[in-house]
Amino acid sequence: MTPTPGIPRAALSWLLVAQALVIVPHLGHLPIWIVLLWLGCALWRIQIFRMRAAYPNALVKIVLMLIAGFAVYQSRGRLIGLDAGVVLLVAAFILKLVEMRSRRDALVLIFLGFFVVVTAYLFETGPGIALFSLLPVAVLLAAMIGLQSEGQAAKPWPTLRLAGGIMLQALPLMLLLFVFFPRMGPLWSLPTPSDRGKTGLSESMSPNDIAELSRSDELVFRATFAGTPPPRAELYWRAMTLEHFDGRRWSQAATPASRVDWQKRGEPLRYSVLMQPSEQAWLFALDVAESDEAGVYRMSDYRLQRERPIDRPLLYDVISWPEAVRDSSLSPWQLRRALQLPSQGEARSRLWAQQLRKAYPEPEALVNEVLANFNREPFVYTLRPPVLGENAIDTFLFDTRRGFCAHYAGAMVFVLRAAGIPARVVAGYQGGEPGPGARTVQVRQFDAHAWVEYWHPQRGWISVDPTFQVAPERIELGLEAAVAEEQSFLEDSPFSPLRYRQYGWLNQLRLALDELDHGWQNWVLNYQATQQQGLFERLLGKDFQWRLVLALLIGGGLFLGALALLLLKPWRDGLDPAQRLHAQFERILARQGLRRLPGEGARSFADRAARELPAQAAQIRAFSGLYQAQCYAGRSVAPSVLRHSLKRLRRALPWRLPGRGGK
Amino acid sequence: MRNRLDQVLATINQVVLGKQGQVRLALACLLARGHLLIEDLPGMGKTTLSQALARVLGLSYQRIQFTSDLLPGDILGTSVFDRDSGQFIFHPGPIFAELVLADEINRATPKSQSALLEAMEEGQVTIEGATRPLPDPFFVIATQNPASQGGTFALPESQLDRFLMRLSLGYPARAAEKSLLLGEARRDLLPRMQPLLDHAELASMQAAVATVRVSDALVDYVLRLVEATRSQPQFGLGLSPRGSLALLGAARAWAFLEGRDYVIPEDVQAVLPSVAGHRLRDQADPGSHGGGALVQWLLREVPAL
Amino acid sequence: MILERLFQARWQRWLERRIPPASRVRLDNRRVFILPSRVGLAFGGALILMLLAAINYQNSLAYGLTFLLGSVFIVTILHTYRNLAGLGLQAAGGAPVFLGEQACLRVRLQSEAREHRSVALGWPPQPLQWFDVAAQGACDCELSLPTRRRGWLRPGRLRVESCFPLGLLRAWSWVDLELKVLVYPKPIPGDLPLSSGHSDEEEEGQAARGRGVDDFQGLRDFQPGDSRRRLHWKAFSKGQGLLVKDFAALTGRDLCLDFEALGGDVEQRLSLLCHWVLELSRGERPFALRLPDAQLPADIGDAHRDACLRRLALYGLVE
Repeated sequence: MTPTPGIPRAALSWLLVAQALVIVPHLGHLPIWIVLLWLGCALWRIQIFRMRAAYPNALVKIVLMLIAGFAVYQSRGRLIGLDAGVVLLVAAFILKLVEMRSRRDALVLIFLGFFVVVTAYLFETGPGIALFSLLPVAVLLAAMIGLQSEGQAAKPWPTLRLAGGIMLQALPLMLLLFVFFPRMGPLWSLPTPSDRGKTGLSESMSPNDIAELSRSDELVFRATFAGTPPPRAELYWRAMTLEHFDGRRWSQAATPASRVDWQKRGEPLRYSVLMQPSEQAWLFALDVAESDEAGVYRMSDYRLQRERPIDRPLLYDVISWPEAVRDSSLSPWQLRRALQLPSQGEARSRLWAQQLRKAYPEPEALVNEVLANFNREPFVYTLRPPVLGENAIDTFLFDTRRGFCAHYAGAMVFVLRAAGIPARVVAGYQGGEPGPGARTVQVRQFDAHAWVEYWHPQRGWISVDPTFQVAPERIELGLEAAVAEEQSFLEDSPFSPLRYRQYGWLNQLRLALDELDHGWQNWVLNYQATQQQGLFERLLGKDFQWRLVLALLIGGGLFLGALALLLLKPWRDGLDPAQRLHAQFERILARQGLRRLPGEGARSFADRAARELPAQAAQIRAFSGLYQAQCYAGRSVAPSVLRHSLKRLRRALPWRLPGRGGK
Repeated sequence: MRNRLDQVLATINQVVLGKQGQVRLALACLLARGHLLIEDLPGMGKTTLSQALARVLGLSYQRIQFTSDLLPGDILGTSVFDRDSGQFIFHPGPIFAELVLADEINRATPKSQSALLEAMEEGQVTIEGATRPLPDPFFVIATQNPASQGGTFALPESQLDRFLMRLSLGYPARAAEKSLLLGEARRDLLPRMQPLLDHAELASMQAAVATVRVSDALVDYVLRLVEATRSQPQFGLGLSPRGSLALLGAARAWAFLEGRDYVIPEDVQAVLPSVAGHRLRDQADPGSHGGGALVQWLLREVPAL
Repeated sequence: MILERLFQARWQRWLERRIPPASRVRLDNRRVFILPSRVGLAFGGALILMLLAAINYQNSLAYGLTFLLGSVFIVTILHTYRNLAGLGLQAAGGAPVFLGEQACLRVRLQSEAREHRSVALGWPPQPLQWFDVAAQGACDCELSLPTRRRGWLRPGRLRVESCFPLGLLRAWSWVDLELKVLVYPKPIPGDLPLSSGHSDEEEEGQAARGRGVDDFQGLRDFQPGDSRRRLHWKAFSKGQGLLVKDFAALTGRDLCLDFEALGGDVEQRLSLLCHWVLELSRGERPFALRLPDAQLPADIGDAHRDACLRRLALYGLVE
């Protein structure tokens, strides 16, 4: 039941503000007409409130809805799916404002508002939006309070203050729930927003793709090692292998998750990787990686792959055996695939390969010669290579000799295959910037790299990096050092903080922000079933179920108790300690069948009680005398004295006198 | 001081038999510097009580019999032309005594009534432009017959409010009446009574009453009582602030008589019927000033703690 | 049906014990009940939807918002309870009304320490009325109630409720303030068969009255046979037609409103008597009232009128 029909002013003003605040986080992916629609509807609503305009009638409402639906279809191409759904939801949220007449409508609007806030989280999940969304929520709650207020008199600000206060009081309980509420996997799969344009490695590679990536400073993942991280030059993060070459591009061949044949050797590396959403299924790890995460498999090319694409930050633990031996034998079809070449083209390269094969029958010697060639000849590492036309590898190897990792790796694999050595391109990231704490490594898109692995009949797959021969600083120091001369590092993003790493404090700030972001991802966004279980085990021990329930109950109970004390202030119930003790005194005597009448003063009651209970008369009079001295005679009696006197009375009394009930 | 008061009470009780409660209230009324209204049928001992009080406390005593032809001048006094001095000389009326018994006050016309009541209120009288102070202490005991008797002018509320207490002596108990009948005539006893207090002692007692402690908790109780009379439906007329002050003053005097230097709710309850009875009016029966049932309700229902 | 009545009876008995009738009630934890309102249930549904979204998108922020709103719901329990707890209710009487009018009962709301906002009072199914009570302040509420029968109107337990602040929960209580208001019969105009009071009663009453008696009753249309001396010439000169000054009961004896002298059923007679009590009081004419179970001697004045009306209201009813 509501006080009066119609929407109070406080509620209406907060609803208007709330709409703006709810829509702001969506602006990045909403069509522009939504903003215009909102402005128009807000204006209309204000005019309705000022009695300058009428509520829309049924026809207008239908037309508006149809127009909105049509506009959504125009800008999204369809009416179903998450993107269109969100736009429709926002449009409905806006249109509801105009036709809102009763408090019930206003409540519908407020609930819609909460949903729109939730949908914003599907598009963005940073700490910024989390903090920001407290604003619309507070304002929506203020609107709810406004709806409960009587008439038009309620002032807007106090309602917001009260809403803020309630939220603040709810915060500890929310944290408790956040930590302890059991998480579970998705119940069913839902569409994800598709317009999150993702940069990153893709399933095929042409040199240009890598050059593209090198222009981006977006974070790809962050690895935290259990011990000291290996030196930068050893950090080859495998994403996938590219085995198929069509003359222009290297692409992934079908790789079944078959059993692989490898032997652990040497010391393992333990680390965890917090990966940003890539919309791809592969994970990043050092060779040779093992992970026991659910839904993560190792494929036959030793990469890790997850069942579903990574559409939100993902944290996984990995153990890598850098010295392991991989595939001491290859099946014929594997060999065939590792030797595949286009049937023609690149004549000079093929010729050079034949010569090498004759000169170096040992595969290892041949590989070394190819690498030495890169070092010997005047190859240049550059992010601005000349355009290569037909026979790109020939042109690169013998004419231009300018390029970057993708060129070197592609050319080398081509030559090795032409010389009969099974080989393939490995795509991934190399290096990474040490993060704060010296145990983390942050890898960004410009760390994208391609290198080579060839197969040795006794030693299995062996990784080599031709780029190292040309530009060892790329491997040892990173891309920025490698292209320092040509100043092509992040040349498209002049404001990227990474360009200013030489300024100490700026770099500190950047690292601190990165750390914050990392913590956020690690502790908030990734706090799902696995992490929660881990935390519970650490906090509560192995068998945590009942302890969890206990912790939740005790925590919630303690918090609510404290809040109740704070809110209700029972010590301010108008009773001073003496009066409370007298109430206790009355309860004790009530058990003996003696009840004080409302109009009975302390003295008369004590006299009556003393008459009824002559054995305890002294104690009764003693307490009552102390009470009267405190309350009426102005002699301050310490509560402890009163309490003591009461205790003596209680001891003097039997718990319940037998047979006194009826008296 | 306590002993002296006990003596006073005992002495009066020898004369006024079987009315300990009323005697005590009357003394409390005097100590609280208030005036007393006794409402009773003729012959119940009103005069005896007032005379006994006057004698024991050593107060000068005057009695004014109110009749319908009583004029204000008969109460206050008149100026009479003195032929010897050729001047008007003021002959003070009976009101210039320390204890005045205004007998059957409701028999007089409102004009005469108000002359007395104004004097009571202000402690002085103004006659022909000259203001003359009344003696100190000044204590009026007015008596009236129950309002239902014919040929009377009932006191209006505004006048009733000026009496601190209203008492009713009522018929004596059987034992008391028996000893009354067997014993000496009461009026003969009176002249033999000796004053037990002098003026200074009385004044210091009255001053001491005013300093009896009233705690917050007690004031809250008085406020609860007063609020109840103002907000409860059965009360036609609530207690005025003067009424609540009177209640507190009377409770102080009662506590003093009990030998305490602080007031407890029981003191308030003891004086409530006599202090509030004539100030309250029943909603259902606006004509009456009974208040008895209402006071009982207050005593029963208003939380004392 | 029977079960329901049985339940109702038990519930009333339980309430009687838990919140005994008193003219003054302070709401505390024994007396305030609290449950989610319909809005609260809808809110809960919305939270479940949000939780499903959070689970399916494995979205920690959505979890966070869901938990935040859930916690707000829980915290609001305290706030809603607090909004009623400590509120003092006191019956403040009500003026008598005539049957068919809205009875107006006064209740005084008193705040001990904090503000109490949007407190609703009323007797369902009558619509509730809403009040705000300032901190340490008081609010005098007038609650209206339709009257259906003459006599004492006892509306029974008063519902006190509040959904403040968020409307998600409803805290309520049923208090019995022993409220009652007297309902007089509905005044219905009609002819009064004149009956005189017994003359021997009259003479004593005359002396006690302090007010003069004016026998002039009013003006009425001229009828042939009326005395010329009583013509109201002033009105005639103003063009109001021929009017006669009417003097009733010139015998000097007062009117007596006699129940027995009337026809019709009890309620009709009472209504007619009620009308004449009002009419004669307005004209300041003394009258006596005679009912089978009571007699009121002739008198005038508000007190007399009220006493008569009270008699009429309570006639034949057990008080």
